[in-house]
Amino acid sequence: MKGSPQRKERTSRHSERRGPALQNPFQEFQSYSFSTKNIPLDRIVQSTEAVMDQIRLGYEKLLEEEAKELVWMVQYNTIIKAYEVAERYVREIDYSAEDIEDFCFALENTQKIPYLIPGPAGLYISALCNYAKEEEIVLKLSELKTEINLLGFRLTKGKRLLIEGDGGDFTGIGLEGGDLVVEGNAKNWTGAGMRSGKILVKKNIGLHTGEWMMGGEIHVGGRVRGLGNIVEGKVFEREKMVFPGKVRPPNMYY
Amino acid sequence: MEQNGYQKQVREIYRFISDHLYYNRPDMDVKGDHFNSAILLSLLTALNRGKELIIGEPGLGKTTSAEFVCTLVYQFPLGVIWGSEVSGHPEQTEEKIIGRPDLGKLNRGEEDVVWTHFSQLPVKIVDEINRLPETKQSMILDGVDRGNWEYLNEMIINEEYCLFATANYHDGGTNTIIAPLVDRFDVMVESRYPGANLAFLVGKKRRKDEILRHPRYEKELYRVLKSKIGYEKKMTRMEEVCNAFGEHLQGALGVKPLQKQDRINIRTEMETLGLDLDASAFTRMFLAECSFCDRYGQKRVVENCEEGCHYTGYLCHDIKNCASNRLPTSMTQYAQALAWLLGDSAVDIEHMKAVTPYAVSHRVQWRDETLSQKERSQRDDPFPIFLAKEAVKAVSQRYREQSDTIKDALAIGAKIFQGESLEPLDGDHPLYREIKKDVEVRRT
Repeated sequence: MKGSPQRKERTSRHSERRGPALQNPFQEFQSYSFSTKNIPLDRIVQSTEAVMDQIRLGYEKLLEEEAKELVWMVQYNTIIKAYEVAERYVREIDYSAEDIEDFCFALENTQKIPYLIPGPAGLYISALCNYAKEEEIVLKLSELKTEINLLGFRLTKGKRLLIEGDGGDFTGIGLEGGDLVVEGNAKNWTGAGMRSGKILVKKNIGLHTGEWMMGGEIHVGGRVRGLGNIVEGKVFEREKMVFPGKVRPPNMYY
Repeated sequence: MEQNGYQKQVREIYRFISDHLYYNRPDMDVKGDHFNSAILLSLLTALNRGKELIIGEPGLGKTTSAEFVCTLVYQFPLGVIWGSEVSGHPEQTEEKIIGRPDLGKLNRGEEDVVWTHFSQLPVKIVDEINRLPETKQSMILDGVDRGNWEYLNEMIINEEYCLFATANYHDGGTNTIIAPLVDRFDVMVESRYPGANLAFLVGKKRRKDEILRHPRYEKELYRVLKSKIGYEKKMTRMEEVCNAFGEHLQGALGVKPLQKQDRINIRTEMETLGLDLDASAFTRMFLAECSFCDRYGQKRVVENCEEGCHYTGYLCHDIKNCASNRLPTSMTQYAQALAWLLGDSAVDIEHMKAVTPYAVSHRVQWRDETLSQKERSQRDDPFPIFLAKEAVKAVSQRYREQSDTIKDALAIGAKIFQGESLEPLDGDHPLYREIKKDVEVRRT
């Protein structure tokens, strides 16, 4: 039967059914030599997800231990205690600065994290930043709807934390020599109790700025809504030093 | 790129317009060259038979910029261009836009069409197009798209034509431009306020358009346009008059307009410019983001993007409609024209990034959430162009991060199409999924 007219007819009918050969839509890339040495992307994704799971677990443990009540009160003791718990979990995770950024995004955009409580979240992120291998960390928070409090808590010397977006209350408190930059605004009690280092807020800052600060500098690109009771250190408003300076009652609205 | 001196000639036309006729600030930077987007894109539109929508506040030179470009690229005296313009108003009729019955012949029982100057000339300007009611906009759809103008049972086909339409921002007398008509425009650009100082200069130099007029040539062209000879013959005769006017312009102003053969040569040169791999991969990436939907297969204006989708970080989440097939054509055509003007040997990613916002801005329908998030952002551009520029920035950032992997994925796709047994690459971008879909079709 090979080559018989019936077979030929069948073949031609078959090819008619299949239609003409498909055009190669990637033709111009035919001569591009691709590399297969790369780690497959799914493996990278898997390892990133494993790290994220660990980070998420640490945050959930922190919430379990420290924020059992529905309201989490910002008090000196609770902050110290919660930070110590956060430190305990964070120390055991091998993560990079990018993972911190992913965690910030995941706080609002995934259902895997049950609650975003601005206080504990800020402390946990601060602990992640302080124990990160990298010296410079960038957090893109401009897309977040919730302002996270306590970012930059105890930021240590040699670390630089850049926040793209706004900081919440208690930003940069207890700063320990680090360099904190907030691209947007910061709310009340910024830099409270800081010992050394520098905080730069590019837009405006709230009340009680630098309350009980013991050293270091706070630079504000916009307006300072009110100064706190500052012990030592310097505060600049639009490059002009406002503390130490002319006596200006704390928290004056102007 | 072979340099026949046309680039220099076109750049001289650009310079003449920006120095003497249309004062404005440069607002586009392409590979170190600064251009004003309104003049540059109008020039590219006139050169490569494009269609441009010029938006802006009243009195900021939307129509005049197009008129100046048409005069110098097509050698028509300004008076003839004015006489061929169609203005958008609610009472506009097909007879005023396309053609009317020859009443003399009709009395004798014969049917013949008297074509309007608008339908006959290769340069077409529709002033205030959004004052045309939606129902009347469809009258010009076919002509805008293909250059075919039909009336009664007759038709003329413009072999060479370009179209400029102007539109004011919405006010009491404007209508929405229907989506099929908007999509037919290759680019949208704003004719912007030149700034107080240049505006002051504009005020001082009144009647600067006189230099582009010539009553004798205008009369002669009108005579040819009204004559009863065949359309092709008419075009040949008009070309002769236009060439004479072009020589007059060169003598009087020192700027050499383009003749028909020049324009044909320029187009041939533009069409030979290919896209390099980065330009091609970037364009595919952009198109994938403008058309992809993980859940429903493709974007459709009637379907909503669901929250919680894996691809929420991409443009597909922010837009409602699907990119039309005219979009890649416009992007490629204008990128080729720009690359040609800059004297480059191929279209690269910079050319593509420069023209894409103008090709995309009028075609994309953004989600309300995206609009409300960004409408108060600090910006220099009108909102749609601003959004398109932001989108291009976001995609080019993603392309920078993934360019090697994207090109690998496309190369693997090419090999699979050639019959090699490889697995398509996985990746976190809609384009990888699109490649997989194409490859699966090949395998089945």
